[in-house]
Amino acid sequence: MRSTSSILSCCLLLAACGHVEEMRSARLEQATEFNQRAQRAFQRGEYQSAATLYENALLLDVAIENVNGIAINTLNLARVNQVLGQNALAQRYLDSLLEDKSLQYPAAQLAAAAVQKSLLRLQENDATGATEWVEKSAAFCVRDCPLSGVIDNARASIALRTNDADKALYWSERAASENKNASPLEYANSLRLAASAKLLNSDPDAALRLSEEALVIDKTLGLPEKIRQDLLLSEQAHTKLGHAELAAQYRDRAARIAATAVK
Amino acid sequence: MKLPNYNERLLTVEKRTRRFMLGAAGVMVLVLLLIADRQDYFRRSTAIYFFTPNAQGLSKGMAVKFIGFKVGSVQDVRMQPNATVQVKVSLDDEYVHLIGQDAKARLVKEALVGESVVEIIPGSQQVKQVTQDSVLQFERGQDAGSVVENLAAQLQPILSDIHQITTSINNPNGDVQQTLKNLNQATGGFRETVNQFTQLGASSNQKLDGAYVKFDKALDRVNSSLETLDKAIPKLVDKADTTLNNVQSATSDIKKITNDSAGEIPSLVRNANSLVQDGQETLGGVKKSWLLNGLFPKPEEQALPVDGYVPPKP
Repeated sequence: MRSTSSILSCCLLLAACGHVEEMRSARLEQATEFNQRAQRAFQRGEYQSAATLYENALLLDVAIENVNGIAINTLNLARVNQVLGQNALAQRYLDSLLEDKSLQYPAAQLAAAAVQKSLLRLQENDATGATEWVEKSAAFCVRDCPLSGVIDNARASIALRTNDADKALYWSERAASENKNASPLEYANSLRLAASAKLLNSDPDAALRLSEEALVIDKTLGLPEKIRQDLLLSEQAHTKLGHAELAAQYRDRAARIAATAVK
Repeated sequence: MKLPNYNERLLTVEKRTRRFMLGAAGVMVLVLLLIADRQDYFRRSTAIYFFTPNAQGLSKGMAVKFIGFKVGSVQDVRMQPNATVQVKVSLDDEYVHLIGQDAKARLVKEALVGESVVEIIPGSQQVKQVTQDSVLQFERGQDAGSVVENLAAQLQPILSDIHQITTSINNPNGDVQQTLKNLNQATGGFRETVNQFTQLGASSNQKLDGAYVKFDKALDRVNSSLETLDKAIPKLVDKADTTLNNVQSATSDIKKITNDSAGEIPSLVRNANSLVQDGQETLGGVKKSWLLNGLFPKPEEQALPVDGYVPPKP
């Protein structure tokens, strides 16, 4: 009995030692390294370097036909070009994913591409196009989709652009509950959108509360443009509340951030 | 009936056991011999000594090298009654004829991060070779850290001189700035005088006299400004001289340090590089090993978060 168990233990140990790690090619490792360096550059606000590094990663992923890597780096390139203000190029990257007939990308990544395209359309003042793409994104985003909060924020943004305060409030509040424990970035976005909707509905008190909450999160995340937007919302709320002096202070704070031109 | 057979088997087992024991003893003796050989017990060696004020970096068993080859080892590091340190070095006899009495022992580091060794710096060929109990001179080699420290110490006074000169030039109340101001004013006055001279030259001789006076004054001011400049410039030149001297002496020191360590630096860099490579390979191996691979997350390509916010139109 004892010898049997010893033999079994030995076999188990041998099997464990013989466990072969999943093979990763040198090219894939290299692509991953470029991607990670690009992520760090993006976080530091070095967007041009990030774009170059993502391009390198994408080139390698295309060369070894790493479908997941192609989708990830194309989406990242679209995002970084959007931040750089190159919306046309960003859209071309997204179209290359959304219109690809040869490769099958995961639905979650197509959903990300579609919602990003929707937001780009909205930036170009094309609310109809934005609505079309946000609904396509929702269709891609089916089971356990991590993007539902982003999609609802995009819907709230579209509603705000069409001055539909009630709809904007509905989507932003829904997004806030989805994002609260999932993504601080998106949660702050939801709060900001809800604050704008409250302002449209002439509820400056609530708007001020929401924008202040968003400001705290955005400061933690260190996002200058978002902090500026929060301050501008607070300024509008104070103006509506008749606090001219406070409003001027917030306007000044926002202007100082804008003057730094740090994105 | 089975007893003889049993006895035979017992004898066979006994024989096998004896053979096994003998084999094991043989292997043990072989291992001991190998260890002894490794410890240089079979080599004839010559003991020599050197003395040093402190034992920092020296330890028993440390390798002793001569032109890059291991020629012996440190046998003992002992404190003397007069608070100096006596180091006993055992040299292989086959190399002793290469080492003269005037050779030096130097403590050097083989790499930026690596073991220290005692290096024998050859003396002149004509001098008698070392013998048992010879005493060599000892010196400590410079490591990369001390080279950098020396450079920093040399550069510090130069930078402070340059800073002083720049401050003196920029000081609005300083000689240079004041002189330039005076010169500027004088030039303005001179230009004005020349204009007056041109305008008045044709009109009357009396006015011309006045213009001459002004012209003289302007020239006087130019002269006084130039005098001030004359006084200020030698000071600056002196300072610049001192700075240049410092630069020169620092450069010669840097050159000396570089020459001294020129032989060591490439090997330092090479060794450090190979050490880093080894380290990386080892870490890679550890990361892939069965027991530990779960502890290190595999890097994956990551997507940036989608930012679902578009600011409303103002």
